[in-house]
This record gives sequence, C-alpha cells and structure tokens, in this order.
Amino acid sequence: MSDTETTFKLETDSALVQEYKYGFVSDVEADQLPKGLNEDIIRAISAKKKEPEWMTEWRLKAYRRWQKKDYPKWAKVEYPPVDFQDIRYYSAPKMNPKEGGEIDPELARTFEKLGIPIEERNHLAGVAVDAVFDSMSIATTHREMLAEKGIIFCSMSEALQQHPELVRKYLGSVVPPGDNFYAALNSAVFSDGSFCFIPKGVRCPVELSTYFRINAKDTGQFERTLIVAEEGAYVSYIEGCTAPQRDNNQLHAAVVELIAMEGAEIKYSTVQNWYAGDENGQGGIYNFVTKRGHCRGANSKISWTQVEVGAAITWKYPSVILEGDNSVGEFYSVAFTNKKMQADTGTKMIHIGKNTSSTIISKGISAGESVNSYRGMVRILPSALNARNHTCCDSMLIGDKCFANTYPVIEAETSTAIIEHEATTSKISEEQLFYVQSRGIDEESATSLIVNGFCRDVFKELPMEFSVEAIKLLELKLEHSVG
Amino acid sequence: MTTAQLSAESAFIPGFDESSLPANGNQPALLQAKRAAAFAQYREVPAPTARDDEWRRTDPASFPFERFVPAAALGPLEEAPTPGPWDSEFDVVVSVSDAGFHIKDNAGVLGGDKLVVETLADAAIHHSELVERYLQGPARVKQPRKFSSLGDAFWNFGLFIYAPARSVFTRGVLIRYHHTRSGQAVLPRLLAVVGEQAELTIAEYYESPETAELLAISTREFYAGKGAVLRAASLQEWGARTFHIGEDWARAERDARVEWVTLLLGGLVSKMMVTCDVSEPNANAYLSGLFFANDNQHVDQRTLQLHSSPNTYSNLLYKGAVKDHGHSIYQGIIDASPGAIKVDAYQMNNNLILSEGARADSLPGLEIDADDLKCSHGATFGNLDPNQLFYLQSRGLTKGVARQLLVMAFFEEVIARVPHEFMRERVREDVRRKCGDSV
Repeated sequence: MSDTETTFKLETDSALVQEYKYGFVSDVEADQLPKGLNEDIIRAISAKKKEPEWMTEWRLKAYRRWQKKDYPKWAKVEYPPVDFQDIRYYSAPKMNPKEGGEIDPELARTFEKLGIPIEERNHLAGVAVDAVFDSMSIATTHREMLAEKGIIFCSMSEALQQHPELVRKYLGSVVPPGDNFYAALNSAVFSDGSFCFIPKGVRCPVELSTYFRINAKDTGQFERTLIVAEEGAYVSYIEGCTAPQRDNNQLHAAVVELIAMEGAEIKYSTVQNWYAGDENGQGGIYNFVTKRGHCRGANSKISWTQVEVGAAITWKYPSVILEGDNSVGEFYSVAFTNKKMQADTGTKMIHIGKNTSSTIISKGISAGESVNSYRGMVRILPSALNARNHTCCDSMLIGDKCFANTYPVIEAETSTAIIEHEATTSKISEEQLFYVQSRGIDEESATSLIVNGFCRDVFKELPMEFSVEAIKLLELKLEHSVG
Repeated sequence: MTTAQLSAESAFIPGFDESSLPANGNQPALLQAKRAAAFAQYREVPAPTARDDEWRRTDPASFPFERFVPAAALGPLEEAPTPGPWDSEFDVVVSVSDAGFHIKDNAGVLGGDKLVVETLADAAIHHSELVERYLQGPARVKQPRKFSSLGDAFWNFGLFIYAPARSVFTRGVLIRYHHTRSGQAVLPRLLAVVGEQAELTIAEYYESPETAELLAISTREFYAGKGAVLRAASLQEWGARTFHIGEDWARAERDARVEWVTLLLGGLVSKMMVTCDVSEPNANAYLSGLFFANDNQHVDQRTLQLHSSPNTYSNLLYKGAVKDHGHSIYQGIIDASPGAIKVDAYQMNNNLILSEGARADSLPGLEIDADDLKCSHGATFGNLDPNQLFYLQSRGLTKGVARQLLVMAFFEEVIARVPHEFMRERVREDVRRKCGDSV
C-alpha cells in the first residue's frame, strides 16, 4: 500500500493523521446537487436515482412532515444548531461502475486503502461487500453467488428499480417517515444504503457488509438500510464507516430497519469510526441515527452489536420491537469517547409478545473531556406475559475531566415480567492496574488490557474478523488517552 | 377544572397567589423577609408540566388545585389533645390538627439549653441566627423549584427542632399530623438542625379520614452538623382522597450521618422529592423507602443523592409493591460533582408487581462528573417467586397467607431501618392489610 500512499491528498499534515488514519480525502470527480434543501432538491435526488413516482411522493411527504417537526433537544449533547440549508444532500462519484462504466481508479484505491475488498477475491472471502461512497453505492460483491440462493443484496437505489414491490412493502414499516426529526429528514433525502432480502428458510452463507465512506466536503450522508429476513432465514450483517478529517462538522443521519419474520434471525454489527474532531472539538461527524428492528414473527431474534469509537456527536438507539411470541432482542454496545466527543447512546426494548426476552449489555468508556451517556428504555406492555429482561450497563472513567451518565427507564405493566437492571460507574481499577504493571507491563498497555477485558462481553458477539479489528481500533484510540 | 387550569405560563398554582398568602403582619421580620423571598422565587419559576422529565409520569394537571383553599395559620391549642398510643415513646410530642397545634414535653427536655421544639415564629425570635442560616438554607441545592418555593411562601404550620451540640435524644420527637377538613390545603413546614456531635430522632406521622379530600404540600429541611447523627422516619397514612406533594432536603456535614426512611402507604396521588447532599468529607447517608400502591393509588418518588464533596458515602434502598390499578414511579439520581473523588454511592430499587393492571416504572440514573469513584445502581421487577410460594404451601399454608408472608419478607429489609418498633409494627400491619385476601 505504501507506493500508493503518496497519491492521496492529506488535508492536514499533523501528527493526528497517525491517530486517525482514515482521515484522508480522495480526489474523485463528483456529480453534485447544489447545497440546500427544498422540494426541488428532493425531486432531483429522486430523479437521479430513477425512482418510481410513488417513491418521489413518499419522500416529499416525509419532507413536509420534517418541516413541521421540532429540533430535538433532549439528548445530553451540546452543539450549535445545524444549518440544514448549508448541506449538500447529494454527491456521487461521476464514474459509476454499476452502470457499465469503469470504476474510477482513485475510488478503487480509496477502498483498497480502507482495507475494503470491492473486487471479489480470496482474502475475506466470507464477506460480501456493498461499498457506499457519499451518496452512491459503487460496488457490491458476491452478488451472483447470493442470487443463486435467492438472496437479494444490493444498494437501495438498485432495489428501488429492480424490486420496487418488496421495497414498497417494507420501507418505513419499522421506522415510519414521521418517527422523529432525523428519521423524517432521512426519509426525504436518503441516498444510498443496502437492501438485503433473505428468503424463507435460507441461511445466508457469507457475512453481508456495507462500508460507508463520506468524502465530499459539506456533504451529508443519509443512508437507508433495510434488511428483511423471511420465515426461518438467517443473516449476519456488518456495517463500517469512516470519513475524512475536516475542520467543519458533517452530518450523517441514517435510518436502518430490520424485519425478522417467524423463526428468522438477524445479527447486525457496527463498527463506527467516523472522524471525531480534534482536541479542541473542532470538526467531526454528527452521527444522528435511527436504528430499529422488528421481531414480527414468533421465535424470531434480532441482535445489535455496536462498537462506537468515532464521531464528534453520536445520537443513536438501536432498538427492538418484540412483537412475535418468544422473540428475542439483544443489544451489545461499546461506546468509547475521548477528546471532546459526546455520545448519547443506548437502546429501547419494547416487549409486546408473550415470553419475549431481551438482553442489554452496554459498556461506556469516557476519557479526555468527553461526555458519554447511556439512555435506555425497557418497556413491558400488559400483553407481554412472562417477559424477561436483563440489563447491565457499566461505565469506566479515564481521567478527571470526562462525564459518564446513565439514564435508564423501565416500565413494567405485567406481574409476570422479570426485569433486572444493574449499572456501575467507576474509575479503572487501581488494583488491577497495579497488578498488571507489577508483572512488568507498562501503564498504557495495562490500561488497554483492562479496557479490553471490560469490553469482552461485547467484542465476543462480533464476527471474528471484526472482533480483531475492534480490539485494535480501541487500542489505537486509547493510546492517546492515558497519562 | 375549567378556568384555573395549570399551565407553564401561569405564575401561580391555582389557589396560591398574593391573595392567599398567610397573614404576615404579626410575624417576626426575619420570617416575613424569608416568605417574601420565597414568594418572589415562586412567582418566577414556571409551573412544571407533563413535558418536564420529572413530571412526565405524574401530570401536574392531575392535582385538582382549584378545589382547595389554603388552611389558615395554626395557633396553639388551649387544651392538650387526646394522647396517641405512641406518645409515651418520645421525649417530645407535637400534635397538629385543623384546630391548632400542641407541643408536649414528656421528658422535661424543653426549655433551657437542652432540646428546642417550637414554632418557626418563636424560633425566629429565640434562635434567629439558626433560622436565618438554615431556613431556605444550604440544603436547597438545584434550585429553584416551584413547589419548594410554594411551601416556603405559604406554609401554615412551621416547626423548628434543634438539638444543641453534643446532646443526645434517641427517643426524640414525634410529630402527628391529623387533618380532617375537606377542601383545605395543608402546608406543614419543618426545619430540623442537629448540632455538632449531637444525636436526634424525628418521627412524623400523617393521617386523614378516608372520605376527606385534602391537599398536602410539605417542605422539610434537615441539617446534620459535624459528626451528628440524624434519624428521620415519616409514615404517610393519608386517607384515600388526599393529594400530597413533598419537597424534602437534607444536608450532612463532615462525619455526619443521616438515616432517613420514607414510608408511603396512604393518599391518592403522591409526588415526593427527596434530596440528600453529603456535603463534606466522610458524611454518610442511608436513604430508605417503602411504598405500596393499590386500588387507584399513584406514587411518584424522586430521589437525589448528591455527592458535592470527596470521600462521601450514600446508600439508598427503595422497595415498592403495586397491586390492582396502582402505579408507582421511582426516579433516582446519583450526582457526583466535579472533584468529588473517593465517592461510594449505591442505589437499589426493587419492585413487586402483584397483579395484572398494576404498573411500576423505574428510572435509576447516574450523573458522574468525577473519575475516582464507585457508583452503582440496580433495579428489579417481578412477582413473588413461585418456588417460594410452592414451598410455603407445601408446608400447609394457604396461598393467601403464603403470599402475604413473602410480601412481608420482601419489605422487611426496609422496615428494619425504621427506628421505632411501634412504627415498624404499624407498617407491617398496613402491608398486611393492603395485601388483603385477593393477592
């Protein structure tokens, strides 16, 4: 990779580049819409994506609802108001390999550098990748092999053209367009994301993965992902994200919807490493995301695993609606914040069906001057007989200028439910540090080792390759936080 | 509920405006000034609405304020009221009723420089320095709050209790509130100061007839000086048509210890707030709560364990049961201020849901701005353990008795923290009665 390294233009040339090695900008010719948001822009996005008429209408309806919504202020994060007219809502690479053209070599190099295989190869053969660059999906691998099994794995734009009836049936059925401020915005302007459809009884043989890359300046990324697992199907989906290092903030407002029918299982893993801004809180991505799964059928299961180590501000609550009897919801999360990062993240488990159960394991690590909050809700409706929940959220503090908050809400409306909730906040244990150091390991490595152990319950839920990546990533982030 | 609806814009809670302020003319200047300051603040603060986090689950508009008229200031009773069954257990007994109040000295401790139990009006003359320093004093963190200010401005019976340095009153003071007149709002105000190295026990008991529709807005302030021990227990047994809003504050200085038990069994709607600031190193707080909401009872409690100083300890245990259409809400916050290191804080909320239709909510929160500390909380929900029920039944107990026994066992951990045996017995009786045959 070293020979290609110099061809990338680095916007900043400081030591920070070392720390955030994905902070480069790729010089790719882009097809962009002007900044600003109005009905014409939405029509233009829809036209660029050659969408059916109903989709354009759907977007416009969402836009009108968004205009009536209040700017959300309840999260424990502080930032200047976002100027929604100063954002570019569409920016796509000009050369589109999916429409018969060649892939821009610069783009190919970008994904190579990010370690994402967009051409099928033996390395990481067990993963099918959809690569999204700004507003467009530029490559999706392993499609033929998947198609043989009846699995649809493509970008949202392609899905709208090739499988409009499926998209129409499921889009917005878990996160309605008017759900919240950012979901409404996303519904109006969403660009690309992945569409996965696993038919009845099929176990997806590879991990499906989408890699999101923000590149263009002043652009927002509004991805939309929809995963449907029919009766008895299984899929494991991985999502990764990075962005260049810039002085101004960029907005990422995604919506992810998961639907699991009877006996189906969806495992959704995220490693989020958006650029987080510098020491002074300058720059970084605003990550305002709505993720929700719906266990629609009996005996279904949805599992969220997230490793959040980037973004200036994170506002994200992957949730599960447990409607089918005996359905299972899981949420495993590691949220690491340092410098001036702010994370307000957690989950909602809504129990509707009988014998539903949910598990929440959340590990927050705050360092530097960051604010790290867990916000979660467990709601047991009267119909959720014998519902069961176990929640464990632990926070670790590194340094004396960081904040850790925990805001759980538990509502129990049936006497047959059993709910356990526990949370702790503490400094990294001095005894443990002393013990490890007394064995000849320096403080930084000792801290890293202990933090790793602290996050183990979550990391072990990640697919193997990802787990290794996540551990490395956390080590890298910790390097500059100790001492 | 037509014209006098509560809204955030209105400066006044219906029924509590300039015209209903207690006659102030013959009161000491100090109290007049304090009331005026409180009223100014009360007028400033917007009324809470169901959109506020704290009031989301208990709509302030569900209190029919407009149906109540603030009770007139209470004067001393000419004759001693009929003694209560527990009176002999205490050094001093204060009886408060619609007709007036009476202070009875069982142990000859009042007068001189021993224990002080007198009205705030008297205290403002005899102990003006203490009243000046502590009334609406430093325990009032996280201000302003609408109902605290309201209580400060409108109280109709104010009591001052002071245990001087190094005095010990383990039997302590009993305050009995017995109100019967429908349509009145009673506003008891209590200020208790425990001097350096002193020890004091305070018990409070609230009751009203089942049929009387009352509104109670109580405000308490407790101060435990350096090395002092304060034990406080309040048993709320209002009748089924009483509304209660409580705003309570405590502050523990260096090496002090506060043991505080809140027993909520009566009333229709109760909205209570308890704040305890362990404000200096080595201060300790043990906060306990017991609540049981059955029929249509609604109990909403909020606790704040404030660690504003390093090397402080707090331990909270709130246990509750809901039955029938009862609804309980527990909101707890542990707040460690910046620099509050070596803090150990614990918060536990256990809930029993005894029948379908009942509901329990719990919002245990942590807000931590310091690094070298240990804070944890836990919350549990569930019904009685079927294995335990089966075991007891296999030993020949009926299902009803077995259930009652297990509920009693569940609460015993909190009941054991109540300082007086007769009060413990009374709570056990209440719990047994509330369990009834139908559990």
